[in-house]
Amino acid sequence: MAKYILKRISLFIPTLILISLIIFFVIQLPPGDYVDSLISARSAEGEIFTPEEIAHWREYYGLDDSWYIQYGKWMKGIITKGDFGYSFIYGKPVWSVISRTVGMTVILTLIITVFQYAVSIPIAIYSSTHQYSVGDYFFSFIGFFGQAVPNFLIAILLMYWSFKATGSANLGLYSTEMLQNGIHLYNLGEFLKRLIIPIIVIGTASTCGIIRTVRAQMLDEQSKQYILAARSKGVSENVIIYKYCLRAALNPVVSGIGGMLSHLFSGSTVTAMVLNLQILGPELLKALKAQDMYLAGTIVMVQAFLVVVGTLLSDIALAWLDPRIRYTKGRD
Amino acid sequence: MESVTAINKKEHILEVKDFKVNIRTDEGIITAVRGIDFNIKKGETLGLVGESGCGKSLTSKAILGINEKICESLGNIFFDSNDYGLIDLVSLNPKGKDIRNIRGKEISMIFQEPMVSFSPMYTIGNQINECTRLHITKDKAKSKEISLEMMRKVGIANVEKRYNQYPHEFSGGMLQRALIAMALVCRPKLLLADEPTTALDVTIQAQILELMKELQRELGMSILFITHDLGTVAGMCDRVAVMYLGKIVEIAPVEEIYQNPKHPYTKGLIGSVHKIGNKKEERLFSIEGTVPLAMNLPPGCGFYERCEDRIEGLCNRAEVDLVSIGNEHEVSCFACDHEACKAFRAKVEAELDGNIGGN
Repeated sequence: MAKYILKRISLFIPTLILISLIIFFVIQLPPGDYVDSLISARSAEGEIFTPEEIAHWREYYGLDDSWYIQYGKWMKGIITKGDFGYSFIYGKPVWSVISRTVGMTVILTLIITVFQYAVSIPIAIYSSTHQYSVGDYFFSFIGFFGQAVPNFLIAILLMYWSFKATGSANLGLYSTEMLQNGIHLYNLGEFLKRLIIPIIVIGTASTCGIIRTVRAQMLDEQSKQYILAARSKGVSENVIIYKYCLRAALNPVVSGIGGMLSHLFSGSTVTAMVLNLQILGPELLKALKAQDMYLAGTIVMVQAFLVVVGTLLSDIALAWLDPRIRYTKGRD
Repeated sequence: MESVTAINKKEHILEVKDFKVNIRTDEGIITAVRGIDFNIKKGETLGLVGESGCGKSLTSKAILGINEKICESLGNIFFDSNDYGLIDLVSLNPKGKDIRNIRGKEISMIFQEPMVSFSPMYTIGNQINECTRLHITKDKAKSKEISLEMMRKVGIANVEKRYNQYPHEFSGGMLQRALIAMALVCRPKLLLADEPTTALDVTIQAQILELMKELQRELGMSILFITHDLGTVAGMCDRVAVMYLGKIVEIAPVEEIYQNPKHPYTKGLIGSVHKIGNKKEERLFSIEGTVPLAMNLPPGCGFYERCEDRIEGLCNRAEVDLVSIGNEHEVSCFACDHEACKAFRAKVEAELDGNIGGN
């Protein structure tokens, strides 16, 4: 087991380097650069630029070099100084632009992940042990509904109801007061209240997905012969459900953690814009549109980092869950 | 009540009386087991033989109450339990504590495919020990010692290491040994063996059968040996019950059934087994047709359509019952030439004629 984890971790750094290379290359691909988009924006307002001015800007922003030299400089900054480059649109170092949003995104994602599992797995167990009961049909309906309806639509509905009920749409993660003073113990309650709608909205689709997956897996396991063998030993139904079925049924859920994290990031952009959430998705969209490459690159890097971490965690959890995965070739 | 007294006299360990299994399906109710009676004596091996779908597995699972929810058991299965005395297993709640106390402890089961009879998620030791801890002792060290001892007994070498290995690290034959260890670890009085060697290759088959016989002698248990392979029956069983389409068509001691088969189906089964010494050119006998679906069955004998000895106007009109023809041999066939069968046939024919006359 320890050997397995060590092997996985040793792949971690090379994976990230490879990802950063690909990210940078892809961001470079569209024709033009930040100076082009800046000039076209300013020209639209009537300003005229001389070629000298343009060349000067290019040099100023370091856009003269070929992409791999720019990549090298960027990586050197990250590794040696923790400097993620300079955001053109904000005119500040990238990290100071996104540090707050990164924290919020990570917190939100973690809470949503916990929410998903806490809600979906008990429901899935209930549904599978009470197959074709009224409760099962009810949760199946909710499950399909949640998967089918777009998140942002649920967001708008919930905001409407929230406004009707409380007089506040609970828009955005921070109140004006929080933006000025930061989050402290005294306004934590208000902050958590503002998290409710985003959690439900962003979490619903994958929660419903997990319910369907785990339910189907549980039913599948229950029909297997080893369940019959366990039953013939005299073990109770609870042991059969929790010790045998559930453990096997969690397999696909656990292996999906990595993919789910990336979905939470990029899939929630529209929702985040509707809800005015200060998380990374909308920021990335903005950066890409303006060809603010270091900002965009860093945001994608952060996402990639979290997905790689998520995959690592899911691999470790999977190895713990399923002994067949632990024993790869080269052992015994 | 005669046989119930027999079980009270401690001759029989299990007594199945007019037992039926109904399966609810979308198309309607299938009566897959259509009223069977048999008993198992202490220390004996009863073979239950028949082709796929005849209801033999349903019967064995019904003894433990582990059939699927859509199956409904009717009738009685009396079991002579140490803890409960004489008890009707059919009457127990299949999820209740009483039947769970009997499962694994007094009646155990081994299955056809050892490879899928263990959960891949837990070690073999964990799964064998689960049974020990449930029924014998909660003491960890003691129960592990008991489990290890049974693993040694079934011929697993290097048990300390094997105990902590997972099913995928075992070969098929070793898994079947482990499955037997799991079934026998609590020294049950009755072992239900549902085609225990079907999924194994022939050399391993012989080893497993030998092992089962050895352990039976040692533990003094009874075995219900379910198979479709008449070859293994000869070596394993004391008596044989032949099932066809949810009914027992013939039951007799093993030598009797091989030397003097009475039912056309039994004759067919025996004729279809290859014997050493047969001339090469001789073709094996095969029974024409297939087993009909046990739904909306016409009246009469279930084997009628495929039978070579059928009597039109009788076999397809009247239900046929098991008739004792002496020497512990019972057969249910109108065409049988034994005196007792002829008498039974005459009685049924008289009734049929009487009915027609009455109408």
